[in-house]
Amino acid sequence: MAVQTDLQNRTERTLGSSSWIGRLRALDLSSPRHADKLGYILLAPAVLLIFVILVYPILLSVDLSLQDVDIPRIGETREPYTLDNYTKLFGSAEFWRASWVSLKLIVVVTSACFAIGLATALLVNQHFKGRTLARLFVALPWAVPEVIAVVTWWWMFDSSFGLINWLLVTLDLADKPIAWLSQPVPAFLVVSIVMIWKGYPFVSIMLLAGLQAIPEDHYQAAKVDGAGAWQRLFWITLPSLLPVFGVTMILVVLWVFRDFAVVFILTGGGPIGATQTLSMMTYEQAFGFFRMGFASAIGVVTLVICVLATRLMVSRMAKSMY
Amino acid sequence: MAEMRLEGVRKVYGGAVVALDDFSLDVADGEFVVFVGPSGCGKSTALKIIAGLEPATSGRVWIGDRDVTEFAPARRDIAMVFQNYALYPHLSVRSNIAFGLRMRHQPRVEIDRRVQEVARILDIESLLDRRPRALSGGQRQRVALGRAIVREPQAFLMDEPLSNLDAKLRVHMRAEIGALHQRIGVTTIYVTHDQTEAMTMANRIVLMRNGVVQQVADPDTMFEQPANAFVAGFVGSPAMNFFQSRLTKGPDRPVIEFGDATLPVQLAPDIFARYAEQDVLVGLRPEHMSIGNGTHSTVVRPNLVESLGSERYVYFPVPTANTVGHATFVSQDEDRRANTMIARLMNVGRIEEGAPLPLSFEPDRIHLFDPASEQAIN
Repeated sequence: MAVQTDLQNRTERTLGSSSWIGRLRALDLSSPRHADKLGYILLAPAVLLIFVILVYPILLSVDLSLQDVDIPRIGETREPYTLDNYTKLFGSAEFWRASWVSLKLIVVVTSACFAIGLATALLVNQHFKGRTLARLFVALPWAVPEVIAVVTWWWMFDSSFGLINWLLVTLDLADKPIAWLSQPVPAFLVVSIVMIWKGYPFVSIMLLAGLQAIPEDHYQAAKVDGAGAWQRLFWITLPSLLPVFGVTMILVVLWVFRDFAVVFILTGGGPIGATQTLSMMTYEQAFGFFRMGFASAIGVVTLVICVLATRLMVSRMAKSMY
Repeated sequence: MAEMRLEGVRKVYGGAVVALDDFSLDVADGEFVVFVGPSGCGKSTALKIIAGLEPATSGRVWIGDRDVTEFAPARRDIAMVFQNYALYPHLSVRSNIAFGLRMRHQPRVEIDRRVQEVARILDIESLLDRRPRALSGGQRQRVALGRAIVREPQAFLMDEPLSNLDAKLRVHMRAEIGALHQRIGVTTIYVTHDQTEAMTMANRIVLMRNGVVQQVADPDTMFEQPANAFVAGFVGSPAMNFFQSRLTKGPDRPVIEFGDATLPVQLAPDIFARYAEQDVLVGLRPEHMSIGNGTHSTVVRPNLVESLGSERYVYFPVPTANTVGHATFVSQDEDRRANTMIARLMNVGRIEEGAPLPLSFEPDRIHLFDPASEQAIN
């Protein structure tokens, strides 16, 4: 301590002791004494940004959801607080149907993404010729911009000119073209397929990273101990991947929950609400019918669901490993 | 328990890199054999081939009376201890130890009984329900050993199992593994790069270099009669000193010169005839020098003295005439240059650096090597 003060004094003397510039210069932020200050200073821009683009809008929408307001205007006198939007929301069949669609989509897309993602990750984790190329192909759908990908799929599923119908008819798998996007079940199927196609590479990449972190020793020890390939998968690979599974699942679930482009471009939520997710419904209420208060209420409920789901998965998955 | 045999095992990587060349070895039932050598000498490769984790390019491996060359690791009935222990982090100590038995579908009661017994032998009964990450290095090491012995295999293979422990614990576990081997008497092959481990634990040492076996012998033989300069330099600490000298005819025995000292050496007449009036490589262990004037002594000027309490390591320059021109042999501490020698002096007083110091030699302990092939000649 004494040494440090002495050092500081000497530094101040050389830099012009009494002036505040001198003192500022002597304030060495990299010294252990000031390390925490430096940390806060470096964090400040990010924290500020998060406040501006995340926290403030969230507070704004909570505020809006508690008012009976259609189009809010700056400077206008605010409406009185009310729970009308929430009462209306929980009483509307549309909300429950959208929640059900979102849930179905999450279950179908997430499980399919994990099945395909795990299979492809295990595949490209093997040593074979052309592995780098195979990895590239596995990751490719992820790299295609979402809107372009969805528009392409939309064309492929077009009932009159689409590639899929042409294939089905040519291969005699269907006797007449299927109206993919104007029937409830096929429309849901198409939305699911496109989301799976777009989503599995992310799972694959994450799981591949997880696979590579498993020490080779563990497999060798298991081989010597007499574990076969399936036993190694169930006893070593899958348990070792659990932490990665947890994080990836949260990210995928949240992605499915909030993804908008796929549904919007393919079906717009139709036919008759068969593919209307909560995010689609929020958009429609806000920018279709300009019921901002009501739309904000949906957004707030969605946020609460997401937070709860995340919390649940984080604690479960993290504990199960260690 | 079983004997083990390797017949001309060879391993080539990528068609060009020979990791193991014509490796043949017979291991007796219950023997403790240590493979030792510097990194990249092929000792771990040899172990993996025995375990079945890597295929041999050619040659056969026998365990007991079975040719296991084409067998998967599981069918070889061996247990292996890995350098990083390879404990499964998601399983408790109990499940880790039971893993091999469970994979072989043993009855649950039997598994429990054997896990308990092994835990008792290794004194880890209180740790059975912990996860590996809650264990210290030494405890993990014990669990890894437990996982190996619970299976009661034909042989143990250990791949540098002590290299992740700190020095004190290593000495302790070394003794423990030795005691464990005496107790259960299973054939063991132990890989290490540490010659001290090899010397203290082995019934027999296999010293390897660049994929080639240099010498197979018990520790004392390896120390006293090294087959070549590499073995001589590898075994012993501090490593053997090497210098060069002309071999000439002395009054009754052949002699070499070191500085102004003339040292008689033991040499068969026909060998002497071959090397007479030629330079030979001379090896002299640091502990075979002592302080003071004797029959065969010279005066050196130490340039560094290290004290270890009861003993002192005295570094002194090799006389120019004795400096080895081509130091191809690799000693254990490679950073020691060919122009420096070490004397290990026991219970001596203070030694001044730079001051003249009389040193006497024990000529009977001198090793002579062919300067080209580096093979021992006496």
